[in-house]
Amino acid sequence: MDLSPFEKDNSVSCRLASQIPDVCKMEDCCLGIDEAGRGPVLGPMVYGICFCPVSKKEELKSSKVADSKTLTEAERENLFQKLDEANSYVGWALQILSPNTISTSMLQRTKYNLNALSHDTAIGLVQYALDSGVQLKEVYVDTVGPAEKYEQKLSHIFPGINVTVRPKADSLFPIVSAASICAKVARDRVVKGWNFAEELGDVETDYGSGYPNDPKTKAWLLKYLDPVFGYPQFVRFSWSTAQTLMDSKAVAVHWDDDEEDGEKTAQRQGNKSMLSYFGASAGGNEQNHQTHRFFTERRLKSLSTL
Amino acid sequence: MAAKKKRATNVQNDSWVVVAADSVIDTHSSDSDPAFVRLRNPSTDAASLYMLSAGDKQLFEVKAFEEDFHSWFVGQTVQRDGRLLFVTPMDPLYLILPYLSKAGKEGKFQPVNQIVMDEDFPACSRLLSCTRSLASLLHIAEEKEMGSLKFHRYSHEKTMIWLQKKVERTVVALKKKNISVGEGVKSTTYIRVKSESDHHEEDYLRYAHGLISEYISEDLSKALLSHLQLPELTSPKETEPPSKKRKLSDKPVEAGEDYTKLNSTDFARKPPKKMTAAQKTLSKVDKTGMKTMMSFFSPKVKAEKK
Amino acid sequence: MGGVVSLSNTRKTAGTTSGVEEENTSCCKKMSCNASVIRVHVPPEGQLQRAPVHLLPCEIEHSGSAQVSQYFTATTKDRKCEKTVSFRGRELKGQEISCPQGYTGLVLKETNKPGSDQEDRTVKVSSVFDKLTYWNLETPPNSDDMIVMAMDWPELADAIHGPVQD
Repeated sequence: MDLSPFEKDNSVSCRLASQIPDVCKMEDCCLGIDEAGRGPVLGPMVYGICFCPVSKKEELKSSKVADSKTLTEAERENLFQKLDEANSYVGWALQILSPNTISTSMLQRTKYNLNALSHDTAIGLVQYALDSGVQLKEVYVDTVGPAEKYEQKLSHIFPGINVTVRPKADSLFPIVSAASICAKVARDRVVKGWNFAEELGDVETDYGSGYPNDPKTKAWLLKYLDPVFGYPQFVRFSWSTAQTLMDSKAVAVHWDDDEEDGEKTAQRQGNKSMLSYFGASAGGNEQNHQTHRFFTERRLKSLSTL
Repeated sequence: MAAKKKRATNVQNDSWVVVAADSVIDTHSSDSDPAFVRLRNPSTDAASLYMLSAGDKQLFEVKAFEEDFHSWFVGQTVQRDGRLLFVTPMDPLYLILPYLSKAGKEGKFQPVNQIVMDEDFPACSRLLSCTRSLASLLHIAEEKEMGSLKFHRYSHEKTMIWLQKKVERTVVALKKKNISVGEGVKSTTYIRVKSESDHHEEDYLRYAHGLISEYISEDLSKALLSHLQLPELTSPKETEPPSKKRKLSDKPVEAGEDYTKLNSTDFARKPPKKMTAAQKTLSKVDKTGMKTMMSFFSPKVKAEKK
Repeated sequence: MGGVVSLSNTRKTAGTTSGVEEENTSCCKKMSCNASVIRVHVPPEGQLQRAPVHLLPCEIEHSGSAQVSQYFTATTKDRKCEKTVSFRGRELKGQEISCPQGYTGLVLKETNKPGSDQEDRTVKVSSVFDKLTYWNLETPPNSDDMIVMAMDWPELADAIHGPVQD
């Protein structure tokens, strides 16, 4: 798995894929979708797909290649190796969503929640498979939000494909388990080899599991909290853990789309004279004076003092 | 992402980001510095901030570009105050004029240094040291010499001619910079009687007159208006939202106000979301040369609040 | 400007603050407060420092040191017609603009604020710039951006204030 395209710029979203096995373009195929790294506050979220001909389902199962009950990173690496070796009939593709992509998507003006992001990513990968010539007939995926709704949505977008959305799909369907392995291996490698674009010197890599309730992770976040910038881009700013810590330990920052009422705005502005909006200075007849629209349209005002 | 924190009051700002005419720093010498001074604003009669270059050779006015929710990074510092100050050359005659005009009521010729005095604004006598001041007095006053002394008396006629030239210079600059001066409101009622180019010219004259009026008293502004042969507008203020009055003409009409640019803390209203009847009419009009509606309702518009 | 009337009414209830705009209202009754000047100390040419200047689309409640080059400059990406960076997890798009012809950017700093507002003050030019980068929240920079429009002003100022031909 060559991660260099992502490592070149780990602030964006990146797609990686294996070669498409010829047989997948000729025979009916099944495809599994799974993700890794949805919950942690650190590092990327990775969506993976794995596909093979329907006729090879049993072969996949018996090769134990799709046995994701294994827990260790080393064992997963091993299994991924096996999948890679089965490249005559198994193909895979990944979408690596950098923590920066997750933050900026979820903190957009028109808010984009994690479920929507997940759905769109999964859909994008399936579309990629189709565009690459894979003869897809069956898709299996774990639930993201309400299962029935997701199934309906996917069936609508991919007519002619049998879509199955089930909780715990990775233990029910080997092809989903295989996708899960690809996704997890990618996430583990990316996190391990994370290159901090920020100039922070040597960054401690002992951040525990990366989950918000892990005390080691919390300690790491506290250690690397900057009062102005918050955190490096390794952190998902849209996570409430990150937000709460910044609210209490970092300086406050206000955006024009903050939910704030006029009174709070006045407070924050230190109750600047309302008259300052009319480009006039204190005293005199400024109440009658209307600043020319050339200035008001460009937010230009006179000052009475520095 | 609601910011529920209490705002820390803005402790007095101690740094400013400024765009200043080169002559502010070019002309400084080791024995004198430029200085910000407060002088009487000729339009509002209240204190406004100006600047005098080293040795009081040149006068500048100070304006602040101010939008809500901005801060600066300057090198390795952050500056909370997000304003950008402009220090631009100012014609000292605008500030000298009110004193001359007031003294002119007595009808006598007087030495100018006895006229340009203000107990509220002691710095005003420094205006006479500006390079341009004494030489340009002839634009607004008659001069008599007695030996080595000069005496001046305000001349309304000369002032009108001078101001007219100012207006004309301004019109040239407005055209050159393609500043939008269209109003949609004319001095006549809504039947066009003049040719298209005359209308256009009137828009420029009114706009330029309005700009020059920022530097003269209201009385003088009115006198200038009639000197320019521009009748006073019988219809409500030019700054009325143009959607209230829309000409049924085939000349392209621009919205006079871009509502999306109004910060909701400045004004109570929010950007309009539906087309008013006037805007619907506009949609039937020839729109060559107009910006599309969509350029006014850009993604900058705030997301709908709950 | 239909909002004029209501806003001037609320002025009375705005309350007292440290806002400098309000200061002048009460002290203008004494002539002395308008006598004070603010001197601008300009270091010699050779000593003028340059510092990069960025205008952000958010208010940061802090004035003082910040790790700008480590967090901000280091992660800024230069794309075809815009720069991109994230600040606190929000995407910013920026553009570098130059000071108008005949103008220089200055950063003024006041080190010792005097006790009363009747005393003279001094600011010094702490750095200069001839370009600044302004950032929008997500919106690509374009000519309708307010700061770009504000840059119209110096050229127009020259027309309004320049000497008329005799």
